[in-house]
Amino acid sequence: MFDEKDLILEAKHVTRRFPASGGRELTACNDVNLKFYRGKTLGLIGESGCGKTTFMRFLVRLDVPTEGEILFKGKDLTKLKGEELRQIRKYIQMVFQDPGGSFNPKMKIRDIICEPLLNFGKIKPSEKDTVARKYLEAVELPADFADRYPHNMSGGQRQRIAIARAIALEPELIVMDEATCALDVSVQKTIIELICKLQKEKNIAIGFIAHDLGLIQSFAHQIAVMYLGNIVEILPGEDVDKARHPYTKTLLDAIFDTKMDFDKKIERIDSEIPSPLDVPVGCPFQTRCDHCMELCRRERPVLKNIGEGHEIACHLF
Amino acid sequence: MLEINNITVCYKERPTVKNFSLELKEGQIVSLVGESGSGKTTVIRSVLGLLPGGGRVTEGDILFEGKSLLQNTSDQWRRLRGTDISMIFQDSGAMLNPIRKIGDGFVEYIRIHEDISKKDAWEKGITMLEKMRLAGAENIMKSYPFQLSGGMRQRVGIAMAMTYEPRLLLADEPTSALDVTTQAQIVRQMLELRNSYGTSIIVVTHNLGVAAYMSDKIVVMKDGEIVDSGTRDHILNGGSCDYTKMLLDAVPSVGGVRYV
Repeated sequence: MFDEKDLILEAKHVTRRFPASGGRELTACNDVNLKFYRGKTLGLIGESGCGKTTFMRFLVRLDVPTEGEILFKGKDLTKLKGEELRQIRKYIQMVFQDPGGSFNPKMKIRDIICEPLLNFGKIKPSEKDTVARKYLEAVELPADFADRYPHNMSGGQRQRIAIARAIALEPELIVMDEATCALDVSVQKTIIELICKLQKEKNIAIGFIAHDLGLIQSFAHQIAVMYLGNIVEILPGEDVDKARHPYTKTLLDAIFDTKMDFDKKIERIDSEIPSPLDVPVGCPFQTRCDHCMELCRRERPVLKNIGEGHEIACHLF
Repeated sequence: MLEINNITVCYKERPTVKNFSLELKEGQIVSLVGESGSGKTTVIRSVLGLLPGGGRVTEGDILFEGKSLLQNTSDQWRRLRGTDISMIFQDSGAMLNPIRKIGDGFVEYIRIHEDISKKDAWEKGITMLEKMRLAGAENIMKSYPFQLSGGMRQRVGIAMAMTYEPRLLLADEPTSALDVTTQAQIVRQMLELRNSYGTSIIVVTHNLGVAAYMSDKIVVMKDGEIVDSGTRDHILNGGSCDYTKMLLDAVPSVGGVRYV
């Protein structure tokens, strides 16, 4: 469904283990394989603690995986160092969950937006004013916001500034870590519209982390569902209702939306997500699954193709 | 049971909530929805007399079971809070003392409201946690708040709030910091409370889906005023003002609008 020549980043067999107390190991990502395409959005969803943020941090090289490689323009991101790494950073930018915490409170908006450009020598300090105005316009904010400080702005406005800063370097991939989760639904909608508009104009690939399937299916081209560090299902964004994996179905059932059947009982699992320190042998979801079989306790299912762009890791299929 | 009559709440000189009225019956669940800054939290905080510095009710009255709450002395408040009226906060972790174990805080809370031994209070705490379907209650009592997940902390908060079977429960964005799966569990738990104890609940939320699932009545607020209110069907069918329609439009739903 995607054109292979649009492939810009590929994660291959990425595994990350953290040392834990008592000589144990915590596996945050286990053999993750994902591909990012130009102009397309990949939505990564799962509950908190499932490793989605850990994975996305590899893409911006805030962390390196224990095993596996991440290929960007033919180079392995995990092995880059020094100036070469610095140069590649301008192609991959990130927007964080809490826009308040990701700005220096003492910097004016103008300086925040222009800082990456100055770092890479793309503009002269004298051009700051015009450039800041241009990007404020791009994210649909009044140009005189350039003189403000982050604390003078609302959450939605700050998130727009974070997006302006991320697009300033004309990156090819932007990673958004729950970028709308701290915002009101109405503001969330406008931010999503803005992201989609910018994506179309600039043909950017986006990696979006979320835990709400209802939100992610409204704009992702591809959705990857993660559970305890494993990708359990990958499906096209427009086919969320065709989801087959029991875990994806659980996530779907847990959504409250305004068009649901209000007499529906909430029956789904009471259990908590197990600690990633004691991931069971076999299928990671076995402890919470209604269809758990003998085989699931023994053998870990691998991703297999069950339709156009639809992969699933489950013994039922 | 609870009657809020035309109240105006001011911080310093500026009114934050204007002419707000609401009537709540026994066992009824009412949701307040609206964007941040619309005064939802101010309303429920004024019911519990917990307005932050400088805030006060300047007009109108709040009646709880026929008695005005605004004239309460601090002693009367203390007897009311945590027994007849309880509150659940957005992040129950923040209300628990981070350097004391859950059990210590729970026992202290119980012993303030009731004259019983530490051992009995401990048992009572465990019973409450078990009622909230928390596995390993004994372990939880011995844990520090940071050792629990957000959903577990929230359930500890609910367990504490429900210890004295309050007649009125105020919930301030009880699920917005949680995962969708945990959110579903918390919503179910609050509905069970209503069914088994007849607790009346006021929920503040910005999630219209949650509001619609739980409540008998939905109140839409904007800039400190009620712009729309009514039953679930009334609101979901577009309500009677454009703002409600705009809020409804913004809720993402499976099979709904796609922007790409």
